[in-house]
Amino acid sequence: MNVPNEHMLYLAAALFAIGVLGFVVRRNVIVVLMSIELMLNAANLTFLAGARAHGGPDVSGPVFALFVIVIAAVEAAVGLALVIALFRLKRTVESDALVEMKG
Amino acid sequence: MIQSDLARVYDADTLWAVSPAIALALGVLVLLMVGVVTHARWARGAVVAGTLGLSAVLQVVVLGDPPGAVFDGTFMADHASGLWGLLFLCGTAVAWLYSLNYYGEDRPYKVEHDVMMLTTPIGMMLMAGAQDLLLFFVGLELLSVPLYALCAFRRNRTRSVEAGLKYFLLGAFGAAFYLYGAALIFSATGTLSLAVLKDFGSFSTLAMSGVALLMASVFFKISVFPFHLWVPDVYEGAPTPVTALMATGTKAAAFAFLLRVTFLLPESAAMTVATIAIVTMALGNLGALVQQDVKRMLAYSGVAHAGTVLLVVAAALGGDRQPHGALDAALYYMAAYVFTAAGAFGLLAMLEQGGDRFTHIDNLRGLARRRPYTAAALTLFMLSLGGIPLTGGFLGKYLVFYSAVRADMIGVAVIGVLLSVVALGYYLRVVVALYMQPEPASLAGVAVPARRTLLPASFATGACAALVLLLGVLPRWFLTQIGS
Repeated sequence: MNVPNEHMLYLAAALFAIGVLGFVVRRNVIVVLMSIELMLNAANLTFLAGARAHGGPDVSGPVFALFVIVIAAVEAAVGLALVIALFRLKRTVESDALVEMKG
Repeated sequence: MIQSDLARVYDADTLWAVSPAIALALGVLVLLMVGVVTHARWARGAVVAGTLGLSAVLQVVVLGDPPGAVFDGTFMADHASGLWGLLFLCGTAVAWLYSLNYYGEDRPYKVEHDVMMLTTPIGMMLMAGAQDLLLFFVGLELLSVPLYALCAFRRNRTRSVEAGLKYFLLGAFGAAFYLYGAALIFSATGTLSLAVLKDFGSFSTLAMSGVALLMASVFFKISVFPFHLWVPDVYEGAPTPVTALMATGTKAAAFAFLLRVTFLLPESAAMTVATIAIVTMALGNLGALVQQDVKRMLAYSGVAHAGTVLLVVAAALGGDRQPHGALDAALYYMAAYVFTAAGAFGLLAMLEQGGDRFTHIDNLRGLARRRPYTAAALTLFMLSLGGIPLTGGFLGKYLVFYSAVRADMIGVAVIGVLLSVVALGYYLRVVVALYMQPEPASLAGVAVPARRTLLPASFATGACAALVLLLGVLPRWFLTQIGS
C-alpha cells in the first residue's frame, strides 16, 4: 500500500491517452476495440484510486468498476458481432472499408 | 447492507416510482418467451403494444403524485422525469409502428428487433431520472447497446452494417469519455451523487477536467459541434424506423440528463455553450442545404435542432431566472421535435416500399397528386421543423429564444432566429418538390403498397400530425401540464 495515489492517477491518465491515440490512429477495427478497452480500464483504475484515497465504508468506487467490467463485456459482444457482419460483407476488418457513406 | 437498509431502499414508494420501467422490463421478458412459443405476428404486436400502453398508464398515474428521490437518492421520480418518460414511450411507440411493415420479407429476426426496441425506453427513463453518475451510465448503455445492433439490423446491406459499426465505435468511445470523466470526478470529490455534488462548492482542477470529459460525452449523444460528424452517416445507413427512434429518443434522454447536470458547469461557461450552440446550428443548416437525400437532410437538420435546444442550457447558465424556464422550454421543444421528426422519418420509411431506397428528393416530386394525405402530413412536419406558426415547432423555438432573451443573450437569440430562417430554405424545398414539380418518369409505374400494410404507419402518422398541430394551437394547455 505504499504506491502514492497520484501515481495511480498518472498511470490511468497514460492508459487513457494510449487508448485515445490507438482509437484515432489505428485502422484495424479489432485494435480500435482494444483501444476502447484500454480507456475503460483507465477509468476503472481511477475509480479504485479514488476509492482508496477517500476510504470509508462507501463502496461506490469499486462497485462502479464492477459495472464497467460487465458493460464492457456487453459492448464487446455487440461490437465483435458487428465486426463479423462487416467481415462477411467486405472480407476485411479495416475501417477503410467503412466508406460507402461520406460525412 | 443489513436488512433494515434493504427495506428502506426498496419500499413501496420506490417500486411504484420505477413501475413504468419495470413494466417495460417484464414486457421484454414476456416478448422473448412469446417469440419462443409462436411466430404469429399478432401475438408479438399485442405484447409490444400492451407493454407500451401499460407502461404509459403507470407513468401517467405516477405523474399524478410523483414520489421524488428514491433508491437511496439515486433516482429522481419527479414531475420532469415523468413527462420525459411519457415522451420516450410515445417516441418508441411511433418508431415501432413504422417498423411493423418496413422490413418486408428480409426481416430474419423479428422478435429480437422488437425486444431491442422495447429495451431502449428503459434506458432513456433511467437517464432522465438519474441522480447518480453510475445510474446514468447503466441507462446510457441500456439505450445504446440495442441501438448499435438495431442500426446494423439489415446485416446483408453494407450501409446498415457500416452505420451500426460507426455508431458503435464512436458510441463506445464517447462512453469511455463519460466513464473517465465520472472517475475523475469521483477521485476528486469522493462521491457519485449529483445531490452531493450540487452542495460541494468549488471544484478542483481534477474535478473540472472530469466535468469537461463528461460533458463531451453528453454532447456526443445529443450530437452538437464538434461531436456531430457521425450523425449523417449513421442516420442515413440505419433502417429508417431505427433512425426515427435514435433521432428522437436518444436526443431527448441525453438532454433530460444534461439539464440535470447543468449545475456542474461554471456560470462563466454560458457564452462558450451559446457559441457551441450557434456553431452547431450553422453547421447543421449548411450541411442540410446541400443535401439531395431527404434522410440525410433530416439528419443534418437534427444537428441544427440540437444546437437550438442547447441554447436553453446556455440561458440557464447565463441567468434565466424564471423558475423552470429552461426546463419548460426544453421539454416543449423536444416534445414538438420528437413528434415532428419521428413522423418525418416514419413517412420516409413508409415511402421506402419494402426497404428500397426512396429518399432522394427527386423521388418525392409530384407525390401530392398520387398520395395527397402523405404529402400533406410530410408538409406539416417540414413546416413544424422549420418553425412556422400554428405548429409545435414554432412554439418550441419561441420558448427557447425567449429563454435566451431572459438571460440577456439577445445577440445570440437574434443569430439563432436568423439561422432558423436559413433552415426554411431546405425544408420548403421538400414542399416545393411535393406540390409543384412533375412526377419523374421513372416512378410512373411503381405500385403503391396496399392500404392494409400501411395501416400502422398511417395511424402513427395521424397521431404525430395531430400532436404537432395541438402543440401549436393549444400551447397553454400543454404548458400548464408541464408547469404544474
